Amino acid sequence: MLSVKNLHASVGDKEILRGINLEVRAGEVHAIMGPNGSGKSTFASVLAGNEKFTVTEGEVTFMGKNLLEYSIEDRARMGLFQGFQYPVEIPGVTMANFMKIAVNEQRKFRGEEPLTAGEFLRMMREKSAVVELDTKLTNRAVNEGFSGGEKKKNEIFQMAMLEPKLAVLDETDSGLDIDALRIVATGVTKLHTAENATIVITHYQRLLDYIVPDYVHVLYKGRIIHSGDKTLALKLEKEGYDWLINNLEE
Amino acid sequence: MGVLDYLNSLGIDCSSSGEITLPDGTPALLLVNPTKVECGIAEQGEDYLILVHTHQGESKLSIDVMPHASLRILQVILADAECRMEVRQQVGSRCEMISVVVAGGKVDYQTDMNGSFSSNVLRAAYVVGKEENARVNVRINHNVADCRSNSLVKGVAGGHATGEFEGMVYVAPDAQRTDAVQTSRNIEIGCDAHIKAQPQLEIYADDVKCSHGATVGQLDNEAVLYMRQRGLSLEQAKRLQIEGFISDIVYQSKEFGEVLAQELTSKLELL
Amino acid sequence: MAEKEILESLEGEYKYGFTTDIETETIARGLNEEVIRLISQKKEEPEWMLERRLQAFRHWQQMPLPKWAHLDIPEIDFQDIIYYAAPKQTKKLGSMDEVDPELKRTFDKLGIPLEEQMALAGVAVDAVMDSVSVKTTFRETLAEKGIIFCSISEAIREYPELVKKYLGSVVPYTDNFYAALNAAVFSDGSFCYIPKGVRCPMELSTYFRINAEGTGQFERTLLVADEGAYVSYLEGCTAPRRDENQLHAAVVEIIVERDAEVKYSTVQNWYPGDKEGKGGIYNFVTKRGLCRENARLSWTQVETGSAITWKYPSCVLLGDNSVGEFYSVAMTNNYQQADTGTKMIHIGRNTRSRIVSKGISAGKSQNAYRGLVRVAKAAENARNYSQCDSLLIGDKCGAHTFPVMDSKNPTAVIEHEATTSKISEEQLMYCRQRGLSTEDAVGLIVNGYAREVLAKLPMEFAVEAQKLLAINLEGSVG
Repeated sequence: MLSVKNLHASVGDKEILRGINLEVRAGEVHAIMGPNGSGKSTFASVLAGNEKFTVTEGEVTFMGKNLLEYSIEDRARMGLFQGFQYPVEIPGVTMANFMKIAVNEQRKFRGEEPLTAGEFLRMMREKSAVVELDTKLTNRAVNEGFSGGEKKKNEIFQMAMLEPKLAVLDETDSGLDIDALRIVATGVTKLHTAENATIVITHYQRLLDYIVPDYVHVLYKGRIIHSGDKTLALKLEKEGYDWLINNLEE
Repeated sequence: MGVLDYLNSLGIDCSSSGEITLPDGTPALLLVNPTKVECGIAEQGEDYLILVHTHQGESKLSIDVMPHASLRILQVILADAECRMEVRQQVGSRCEMISVVVAGGKVDYQTDMNGSFSSNVLRAAYVVGKEENARVNVRINHNVADCRSNSLVKGVAGGHATGEFEGMVYVAPDAQRTDAVQTSRNIEIGCDAHIKAQPQLEIYADDVKCSHGATVGQLDNEAVLYMRQRGLSLEQAKRLQIEGFISDIVYQSKEFGEVLAQELTSKLELL
Repeated sequence: MAEKEILESLEGEYKYGFTTDIETETIARGLNEEVIRLISQKKEEPEWMLERRLQAFRHWQQMPLPKWAHLDIPEIDFQDIIYYAAPKQTKKLGSMDEVDPELKRTFDKLGIPLEEQMALAGVAVDAVMDSVSVKTTFRETLAEKGIIFCSISEAIREYPELVKKYLGSVVPYTDNFYAALNAAVFSDGSFCYIPKGVRCPMELSTYFRINAEGTGQFERTLLVADEGAYVSYLEGCTAPRRDENQLHAAVVEIIVERDAEVKYSTVQNWYPGDKEGKGGIYNFVTKRGLCRENARLSWTQVETGSAITWKYPSCVLLGDNSVGEFYSVAMTNNYQQADTGTKMIHIGRNTRSRIVSKGISAGKSQNAYRGLVRVAKAAENARNYSQCDSLLIGDKCGAHTFPVMDSKNPTAVIEHEATTSKISEEQLMYCRQRGLSTEDAVGLIVNGYAREVLAKLPMEFAVEAQKLLAINLEGSVG
């Protein structure tokens, strides 16, 4: 589904990603961990197509297409979803209106008819149940005045609405209390099928208690320095990153 | 559907002024292109004025809001009109005004808070493009103690248009416990657009809560990016953001929110 | 009751109100071309300078008095002012020992030691009394680095090329009424030139003192920081207590060349008049700086003195990436009036400016912030942030805010916020419960309120400014 080969990216003169290789197949869950500043969020943004970053080398294939050729919105329509670490507040723009346009743009991209108002409302109701999102929130402006937990639930709600092929969730667990974490993680698990895939970027092992990864990768200084199965996350939790970094430097 | 179409769809004749009834049963006075109006809102009374300006010209309204009366005003300016409005509020009265300007033109709004415990709320939005020039002047005089006022004016200028806001909150000596907020938010979307904002405070009493704020800016690029990640096109993201920007002005009106939003949206399409 | 107490605690004494008994040479009252020729002659100026003065004078005669400020200015009789006064000196000064001991005592009393060994913390001082510069310290040390620091009169004689190039280049005589008047009659002031790439090793300072009666002070300061240079400059001023009003109309011009940085700090403490509003200095000042590419100009002012203040230190951000800053505390008490603020003119790309203004009004005073932020069409990505707060002490004073934002570029972001507050009974009670006197509590709260600006001042000045704020407020809370 996603194949990343030797991806290099920089912001200004500063190279942040320095040769990432990653293969993600349908039905898989990958976790990317690593110390602060290792390039995790940059990786998510580069996949999504954020123009702030320049890809200087490497290739990314998504669903058989060269992902790097597409604009951020086309990547979204192709089924790539980025769950933001800091979801943006958009004053005055209601969630309902925003999602209606987003869903219909995706349908248009696939050559489907737009949803009727009734169909859309039904969909909103169903999907908000996935993350136990208060339906009142869908009448409010996008993320405006939402608590940290509500913002993250809202990200997963939008993921449910857009049914992506690949979801890249950037620090979706940060700033969540244990209940919100459980709800968000359960939501992600519910949305997971054999046809889609998820990349979870996180600092903490605790999220991985709920979203069980097939692979765990450690990103350090813009490269994946180690990969393993879910037990790696537990080891990292106990022992930190030093043993890996020291290995590397020896 | 614009405001005129909406009123027409209700079977209301918009070619002349007169008393009308809105679908929810609220009575209102419709004034079409008024030139000079002087009126009073009776003590304890409730009134709703709807002003529609469809062609150029000057208009001057002078309104006395008697004790404990309540006045709502909706003003829609569709042509390059020059409108001056003076409201004098007596004790315990309330005035709520919504003004939408989708053409060049000048709105001059002055309220004198002459009786304590009265309140005034103003919400205004203008969208101008091409060579248009919109000017919104708001002056709130707190002449007595214990009144509240809150004004919010939002503007969008595209093309070669100019948008100007001049605001003043005046607090007289002894107008203690005044609570006044005045805000002006502006977005420039045309390379040759020009925005000028002058929010002013003149305060002669110490036990007051007064603040003003003004911003001149552009669209929030982070928000545009966020929307594009969800599949919206650049144009859609920009449009949606501007609509969101002015939504808190228009949806202040229960009856006309949707229609006013459409009025502004169709104007946006021309920018 | 607390209000009365606070108001009482604000009635401080102006401690610089003494007069120096020194022989002064003055010219007759009044202003005409002859007077200007006389001033020019006394300053031994070259012909070109006289020509400039006369040109400015002729222009000034055609100009109307500006009336737009939120000030109640009594009519000023410009023919009833003495335009030149100088402490008598028999000969040119060679060393410190030759300075009149009385004059030296005056500056000592003001806390401005002219003795070089006493000038602690390495501050070089140019002391100006009435119309002449009395003494500039540390000149030799500075000269080693190529820095010129002297009186403007001297600069006109010794460095005519620099003066010709820069004088009037930022504030032309046509700029405004008082700038024109100053250009015609300016008597002395400081000149400073920092050569390319030089970081001035010490704070430079000019200390202005009005002493003679019936005179006006019209000083002119010209400061040039050449490419990559840095200087921090301080300015202080005081005047004796007198019942008559005296006029002070100064011009400060700053040129900040590419990559250079200038910090200009002022503690203005001219005599403010008495409790009934009698006497005091009319302070009409034009201050402006021009910034080239990557240059930075930062104005910090603490304005506590003067009966009337009319002053807008401004930045013309001409070069790309240049930065302008304005930090101000303006305090008015009794019958003082202040209309002060800044102009930030964004012309270059990526120019940034920041304005922090803290007004404090007490007694029956009026205090206004007036500002202009203009973004020219070419100023891509210009940014401005302004914060203007007012603190009212007592219910007989006024606090006003008059900002203008004018943007012709859609990539500009301008933000302005203003609030008004008072010292709350709760704050006072809280402090007093912990054992502070009302007076100390007020001083503390006011200093806390002004902290953001005071923190921008060089250390020695910050302490001085804090004391000033407390003294000026003695006797006044609401």
